[in-house]
Amino acid sequence: MITGRKIILVLITALVIVGCSSSSDDGPSSKTDDFNRGALLTNLVDNTIIPAFEDLQVKLLALKANKDVFIVAPNQINLEALRMSWIEAYKVWQSVEVFNIGKAEELQYSFQMNVYPTNVLDIENNISSGTYDLTNVNNNDAVGFPAVDYLLYGIGNDDMAILNKYLDIKYKNYLADVIDQMASLTQIVLDDWKTVYRTTFVNSIANTATSSLNKFVNDFIFYYEKGLRANKIGIPAGNFSTTPLPEKIEAFYNQDISKELALEALNAVQNLFNGKAYLSATIGESFKSYLNHLDRNDLVGLINTRFDDARQKIEALHDNFNIQINTDNTKMTQAFDALQLTVVSLKVDMLQAFNVSVDFVDADGD
Amino acid sequence: MKKIVLSLFVASVLFQSCSNDDDGGNSENQVVAPTTYSFERNGNSSVSFGGQTTRIQMAHELISALKDNTQTEKVLDAMFAHVEGEVDFSDADLNASNKSIRSKTAASEDYFKANTTDGNAIKADFDTWIAAQASDVFTNWDNDASVGNAGKIQEAGGGSTRYVNAKGLEYNQAVNKALIGALMTDQILNNYLSPAVLDAGSNIADNNAGTVADGKTYTTMEHKWDEAYGYLYGNEDNPAVPVTNADSFLSKYLFRVESDTDFTGIAADIYNAFKLGRAAIVAKNYRVRDEQAEIIREKISEIIGIRAVYYLQQGKASLGIDNASAFHDLSEGFGFVYSLQFTRKPNTTEPYFTKTEVDNFINTLTTGNGFWDLDATILDTMSNTISSKFSFTTAQAGS
Repeated sequence: MITGRKIILVLITALVIVGCSSSSDDGPSSKTDDFNRGALLTNLVDNTIIPAFEDLQVKLLALKANKDVFIVAPNQINLEALRMSWIEAYKVWQSVEVFNIGKAEELQYSFQMNVYPTNVLDIENNISSGTYDLTNVNNNDAVGFPAVDYLLYGIGNDDMAILNKYLDIKYKNYLADVIDQMASLTQIVLDDWKTVYRTTFVNSIANTATSSLNKFVNDFIFYYEKGLRANKIGIPAGNFSTTPLPEKIEAFYNQDISKELALEALNAVQNLFNGKAYLSATIGESFKSYLNHLDRNDLVGLINTRFDDARQKIEALHDNFNIQINTDNTKMTQAFDALQLTVVSLKVDMLQAFNVSVDFVDADGD
Repeated sequence: MKKIVLSLFVASVLFQSCSNDDDGGNSENQVVAPTTYSFERNGNSSVSFGGQTTRIQMAHELISALKDNTQTEKVLDAMFAHVEGEVDFSDADLNASNKSIRSKTAASEDYFKANTTDGNAIKADFDTWIAAQASDVFTNWDNDASVGNAGKIQEAGGGSTRYVNAKGLEYNQAVNKALIGALMTDQILNNYLSPAVLDAGSNIADNNAGTVADGKTYTTMEHKWDEAYGYLYGNEDNPAVPVTNADSFLSKYLFRVESDTDFTGIAADIYNAFKLGRAAIVAKNYRVRDEQAEIIREKISEIIGIRAVYYLQQGKASLGIDNASAFHDLSEGFGFVYSLQFTRKPNTTEPYFTKTEVDNFINTLTTGNGFWDLDATILDTMSNTISSKFSFTTAQAGS
């Protein structure tokens, strides 16, 4: 009898110990993290960041060349060529905006390249006064791609009226100064990556708030949440206001490309996550392989499925988001909702797996 | 005797094996709830929910203005979606506030952050009711209501005059009672008590380290819990020791449900869970915290369910006899039924009734000539469908 009880007691004790030790295990992330962060950073910089910046600079130099031709002869043919090169550069920009780190962060590069809606009053005031400091923070909403959008598509009711504006030297000068500035800033950021910052970036392999991967993964999620989800879809759809605000779409003056730009941005984000090279189909170390290494294939699958779902929702939209918002805004908010699902996977689940803290507050405010 | 010794031994093994399990987060700290909802840090109160008090008071002014036929839709819309600094309210503090009712309507983290499509549809329902109050009801203020016609209708025996739309619905009641779900209940159950909010960012690490929010006396996690508390008790004279019935929203209906002997004790259950959960945050015991959140979710959901059934049953009793009285009850019922979609079944992420189910209820109530067409069978069927999902009967809720 006593023996029997002892056995039961031992069994109970064993059960209790098993029960407690398994409850103290907080999931699959208990695997030791010996992932090679340096390899991820190297793949990122060599196969995505530098090639993307180089491509952007090629496109901006083409934009600059077409602008030079246009200024000498502001006619319809030259305007079309200039617009085409602006679109090409703007599409590449969607792969670059996320890299707000190093020199780009120091210069507030993205604020000088893509703040929208652009401020027409500031632009027109700059043009009429003829004196301006384009790098001044007050001009963040009077420069970059959105300003060129206005200058090429919005300063007149039709192409004839637009071309007429460029009979005025002040308009020529402003267009030239804005485009030259974009190319010049990009050259500075690119040169810094190639000469100095690459080494700093790939060698910072610790897990502290200022380590490269910690900073970059935060930038990545912030860009996804703010630059892509909120700016391109949520804000114009009215999710942060009482009524929809279609005038806040990207490329408002050439609205037919708004969907194309959003899709470029989503593709860039997903390629970054999966470690796909900018110029080829080559796959390298990435957030995806890091998660795989931590036995989180489930999360990789979920994130890619959610990216794909969001892409489907965006593809279902009208090319022109202004038209989409004014005809059926529900489709816009459905695209936003699909994008939001991935925010949780990235910001909570992926960061927990990486043991990285969020370094920015909720982009939506209270 | 041997049994006692044995069970004591087992108990001590249990206790030791778990309490020795010190891996930083899972060791349990004892939690004792204070007598009242009072918490301090360095001698100063660490409890704060000013934004919630503000929104309750804004909502009071809104539902009051909805009964004033000299108001315009523009004025009413501005009260619903206040912009900082605009003179929308009689209270200067409310005008100065950057808070708005509309931005927090159907806007919880768990239910609507990734479903802004439904969130926007719900906001649009409120916009529609508010607009129609001005365009359909204010314009027929002095006309007698009849089947298919908006106007006034007086309760029997020289009772109150009700102002209804063509279907018999009082929009002011729809807005008032639906806000209890879409604002208060949704924000409490699906936002502030949610780990997605309580544990967001570095909240756990900060709370564990006692790191307070910038310039504040509380940690962010403590504050989030307090904001949940504020949506229920924020309009109390002494919120630390609430007496309930302190506003026209959740506090009032907690009081009403508590006053029904079938449900007496619910007020203490909710208050105690709020106190213990807050104390658990101070003690860094998140298991106890989350257990209290589940209790609050269940009990506050019950308030909505009980009052929905109550008003459907009350409306049934006077339908055809005293239609003004019936329509008034059904209008309140309409709002509580609408609020069911914001409830939360404990230990799930689901409401007791989905938006689709609620939309079907609302459609049943408003189809054709609306309340004029309703009968006892329809109202009993709906009441029973609702009470069957909860732990009360239609009879318990209905009187």
